[in-house]
Amino acid sequence: MKRNMIRTGALLLALNLTAAFPAAANSIVAGATAPAFQLSSAGGGALSLADLKGQVVLINFWASWCGPCRQEMPVLEQLYKKYKAGGFTLLGVNVEPKSADAASFLQSTPVSFPIVFDADSHVSKLYEVSGMPSTVIVDRKGTVRYVHHGYKPGEESEYLDQIRTLMRE
Amino acid sequence: MTKSRTVSLVLSAPLAALLLAGCSSVEPWVKPYEREHLADPIMSFDRDPVSSTYLDHVFEVREGARGATGGVGGGCGCN
Repeated sequence: MKRNMIRTGALLLALNLTAAFPAAANSIVAGATAPAFQLSSAGGGALSLADLKGQVVLINFWASWCGPCRQEMPVLEQLYKKYKAGGFTLLGVNVEPKSADAASFLQSTPVSFPIVFDADSHVSKLYEVSGMPSTVIVDRKGTVRYVHHGYKPGEESEYLDQIRTLMRE
Repeated sequence: MTKSRTVSLVLSAPLAALLLAGCSSVEPWVKPYEREHLADPIMSFDRDPVSSTYLDHVFEVREGARGATGGVGGGCGCN
């Protein structure tokens, strides 16, 4: 009885220690190279991060079920329209397994920046998305410079400052 | 194993896991981008948070003296 308990306890301890890593809320660090990916886009065809090299890219991980993401969309649209001409682009990565929900949201709230669908979440895992929405700002050379988790109204001023800094480089 | 030994082992294993794991990891950890079903309004605790705050407050006021909400409340000779 006692031997069984000790054995079970040791096994559970080992399992819990190895399982600790997935739950650790680490995320992509500024200064790392942005992992390359290619996803199918809303307009048909595939879009990869390598296509956008040379521009400042803001990658926004969003979903239609996430309130702050929906709040953020018009804000991002304004940002895109304003700085599109200066070498800035925005990439919306939709993380939903059922792309139909995202498509219906986009019909009601159309955006002009490219949207790609990450239905199997492999890009979300690659970028270690640890909050919804997540925003990763990548500079012209493809290095991750700023990471934001979550969205509160008013945070777009931070995005503006950071994008302007990167566009001046 | 006898039935009582099985039962006590089954009960002690999760307890041991809790004690050993502490707060290091919550399993299963649902990734933020997988929380689609958790975000459904039906999965929230309160249907109407304002109303339930009010009703909880009323309940506390009414029954708090007898320790309704689990805290030590009231001052009428409660133990």
